Amino acid sequence: MNQKIIFIFLLAFLFYLTSQTVVPGQSKDEIDALKKEIMKTKPGTSTFLLRGYAHSGLEIMDDNSSFVGGSFNPIFLWRQSSKLLFESELELELEDGETVIGLEYANMSYFLNDYITLRLGKFLIPFGTFGERLHPRWINRLPSNPLGYSHDEQVGPSSQVGIEIRGAIPVLTGYGINYSIYLVNGPNLNDGSIEPEEAGKLHYDNFLDNNKNKAIGGRIGFLPLSDATLEIGFSGQFGKVGNTGSQYEDVSAKLYAFDLSYVKMIKELKSIIDLKGQLNIVEVDNAEYVTGDDPNGMYSFDNVSKAYYGQISLKPAFVKNEILNHLEFVGRYSKLLLPSKAAWGGEKTQLTFGINYWIDWRTVVKFGYQTITVDSNPGLPVTNSFLLHWSIGF
Amino acid sequence: MKTKIINSVLVVSFFALLFYGCSTYKEITSKSGAQLWGENCVRCHNAPSPSAFSDTEWETIAQHMRVRANLNSTQVNKIVDFLKMAN
Repeated sequence: MNQKIIFIFLLAFLFYLTSQTVVPGQSKDEIDALKKEIMKTKPGTSTFLLRGYAHSGLEIMDDNSSFVGGSFNPIFLWRQSSKLLFESELELELEDGETVIGLEYANMSYFLNDYITLRLGKFLIPFGTFGERLHPRWINRLPSNPLGYSHDEQVGPSSQVGIEIRGAIPVLTGYGINYSIYLVNGPNLNDGSIEPEEAGKLHYDNFLDNNKNKAIGGRIGFLPLSDATLEIGFSGQFGKVGNTGSQYEDVSAKLYAFDLSYVKMIKELKSIIDLKGQLNIVEVDNAEYVTGDDPNGMYSFDNVSKAYYGQISLKPAFVKNEILNHLEFVGRYSKLLLPSKAAWGGEKTQLTFGINYWIDWRTVVKFGYQTITVDSNPGLPVTNSFLLHWSIGF
Repeated sequence: MKTKIINSVLVVSFFALLFYGCSTYKEITSKSGAQLWGENCVRCHNAPSPSAFSDTEWETIAQHMRVRANLNSTQVNKIVDFLKMAN
């Protein structure tokens, strides 16, 4: 009997021991496996992020209408360390029945200290703020760009290749100043030898410089108030634009821009008011160009171009109505003034009104009505357009 | 004459901003990350939700925005700390 009791006791003890040794062993394995899984997701010192934006829409004009394929702009960000960032943006869009891929920018930023960043490569030029900060479709409050601020009929640079230092310093004015100084290839002058109708026009896609001279430029922005609501900016870019060895070798261009931004919550209206404006001026030295009709005939003109816009938007984001607080009302006046005596000259006025519905903070459906009047040719009819676009940032 | 008037306005504006700025600088340096997030993002686009990205992603985005929006490191660090805390 005693032997039976001892045997049962030993069996129970053995079971206890084995159960005690197996279970903790299994838990330890599980914990180790869990640790390994966690370590797999632990970020390294360098991180990669894919962001970007896209848009598409429907455009109805006086004599035709079309769905527009819009564009898809992936943005690649590599954060190599707390000091080093590489960023690049591609633009994929449908143009004349083909898919076109463009490199918007690709550059490396090195943070020298708290207030100075060194940037090398192809970067968006801080000439005003529209081209650098406001042009992405999910940021631009209207379905279209102001006159003179898109790739066609461009007055002022958008992106160029070079070197830049930039940053922000909390001195001088209320919120501080931000600045940028850069050296780039600069624009090149179309001398009309191949395209007489474009003689005197500047092209900004000068990715392989046409002369030894580099354009120097910069922008300084003042934020004079204590809450960053107001920013006033001055930009300039100066350099020779003619081809080396040509009669236009010494032709220079002086580019200026003035920009303004005011964003403020108006408590009484439970809304955010957003005012934006920019004036671009491009002055090219006078030169003589071949006329298109007569190869021996030459002509000259005051080569000054201007493009400006003013925009106001009101977003009742703090009203209680669930539909109204997703809406935004926008109006913009834009003007383009090109040299009247140039073959590509003329004067246009654009008036655009829009209502936006924000699905979330980065997804918007935009309804717009736009008129474009060719002031330099009153005989031409006014172009009316209804624009419906959706844009998403991600 | 016109140029002189424009230049005079610019010079006066510059010194007015300088004078006003000196009086408000201390107020700005004491701002929280939440305040800086609210004030700076909306200068160009709607303020993003902190939950839109992970902590690691915010660090990369912050570097990108430091360059694009010309922010200094103090401002960016405060904003990132706020976004991580609120995420």
